Amino acid sequence: MTIRATVLGTLCRPSFVVAIAAVAVFVGPTSAHKAPHTPEQLKLYEDLLMEEVRKGDLLFHGDAATAKQMNVVLSTTGMACAMCHPMASDTHPQSYPKFQVETSKFATLRDMINWCIEKPNQGEKIEIDSEAMKALEAYIHWSNAGSVLVPGKH
Amino acid sequence: MSDELDRIRREMHAVLQQPGVRPDDSLQITRRTFIHRSLLFGAASVGQTFAWWPLLNTIDVAHAAEAPFKFAWISDTHLYERSLNTRFVDKVVRAVQEVQAMDPPADFLIFGGDLAQLGKIEELELGVELLKDLTIKKYYIPGEHDWYLDMGKKWGELFGQPNWTFDHKGVRFIGLDTVSRGPDYWTVKKMTPEERMGHMATLDGTVAGAWAGVGRDQLDWMQKTLADWDKSKPIVIFSHNPLYEYYPPWNFWVRDWREVNEVLKPYTKVTNIHGHVHQVLYNEIGSMRSIGMLATSWPWPYAPEGVPKLTKPMIRADPGDHYDGVGWETVNVNADDKVDVEYIMWGRKEVFVQSDPDSSLSQPEKLRPRMADNMWPY
Ligand SMILES: [Fe+2]
Ligand SMILES: [Fe+2]
Repeated sequence: MTIRATVLGTLCRPSFVVAIAAVAVFVGPTSAHKAPHTPEQLKLYEDLLMEEVRKGDLLFHGDAATAKQMNVVLSTTGMACAMCHPMASDTHPQSYPKFQVETSKFATLRDMINWCIEKPNQGEKIEIDSEAMKALEAYIHWSNAGSVLVPGKH
Repeated sequence: MSDELDRIRREMHAVLQQPGVRPDDSLQITRRTFIHRSLLFGAASVGQTFAWWPLLNTIDVAHAAEAPFKFAWISDTHLYERSLNTRFVDKVVRAVQEVQAMDPPADFLIFGGDLAQLGKIEELELGVELLKDLTIKKYYIPGEHDWYLDMGKKWGELFGQPNWTFDHKGVRFIGLDTVSRGPDYWTVKKMTPEERMGHMATLDGTVAGAWAGVGRDQLDWMQKTLADWDKSKPIVIFSHNPLYEYYPPWNFWVRDWREVNEVLKPYTKVTNIHGHVHQVLYNEIGSMRSIGMLATSWPWPYAPEGVPKLTKPMIRADPGDHYDGVGWETVNVNADDKVDVEYIMWGRKEVFVQSDPDSSLSQPEKLRPRMADNMWPY
């Protein structure tokens, strides 16, 4: 009984739940006999991230084929995100959430991505939890890895 | 990347900024600011309420002009065809109207490159058509966006030789081509002209490499051109890219800046005016000073590292106002032998950062180069 309770307690930790979702296909049903992460699993996580980063990079740089494939219209002016934000500069993902002057709202990075799509780029804003949004977010974060976390910094 | 940049910057400091070596004393910066009155025309719209009161930056540059005169600079218009984007067209029209309205008129216009966005015939011809309304003498140098679709064929037909020189009222002017000598990244990968242009038109692309350079042949030409020029008389050199090293990943440099410095070393009053960076910049290298100009199309952010310490940064632009952070410049050669560079930034009364939160540099960044463009084909 005691052992069982401990396993359930572990399963309730959010990070664990996420990890299980990602590797469910490899380990099958949850069991009490958990093993440490294997190098193969870690490689898989990294590959999954980099595939999102790659798609995000292409969307961010206005790649028409990727936009079409993901069924999004991020711009109608010829402008792409990277034209004002080379290497995802001046996006400051590490400063969100924060008060956003452009929208007069306490905003997330995703809110701001949509604002840029709709206003300067005159595109069609995308679903907040869509594949394209996750890819863009992955690329922006990946490119800014190493910047210091400063919530709210204008 | 950063270590390499550090190394080169230390070298640049050691080689080019030895004690006592600076641009001539008459070239010291004295910034004064005043309100410009000659720009009060045209239709004001939302977001332009403040646009008619640009704060002007004055930099004393050169001396020994025989008579006072001024000239204008427009660059980085990045024109798309009208059917895709009229925003950039409108801003060229506005810049042209304002230069045309200068009183007294400018002696000539320098167009500093990146007339087109994707090097298309239609884009380049649109640029010619828009600039036709400007009746003063015009000189053009190319940008990378003008060149790499047809390797400068159309540009050459429209504007002729990309490098040139002329003397005007005691100043020797030189236009350089810093874009056409990029390494061949397309043949092996069998790229179409459009693909070649696409990589070149992406500032943070990793495929086109270190394309900005002057080249040995052009350096020799410049040396010959300057051979008969008095060492203490003013020289103004126009280039698309800055003639020093600021941030190589975006080609905010020329790769042969050392050789450029060798050629210019004997001359004490050299001013380099450049485009490409779409931002206010100021630097001194050896006896040369270098001034970065605004685009009419859109502003680039400052690079995550390498911004020259002598630069007073421009204000962070409002992304919702496409007249902000952009504009054109007049360069005014006064009777008292001084040259004032005036930034005419449409969206702003204050061109320069007044306090920390107005600066994009107030939030340090560490950035990685992009990765997807090197996975060929997509
Ligand atoms: Fe440009
Ligand atoms: Fe350029």
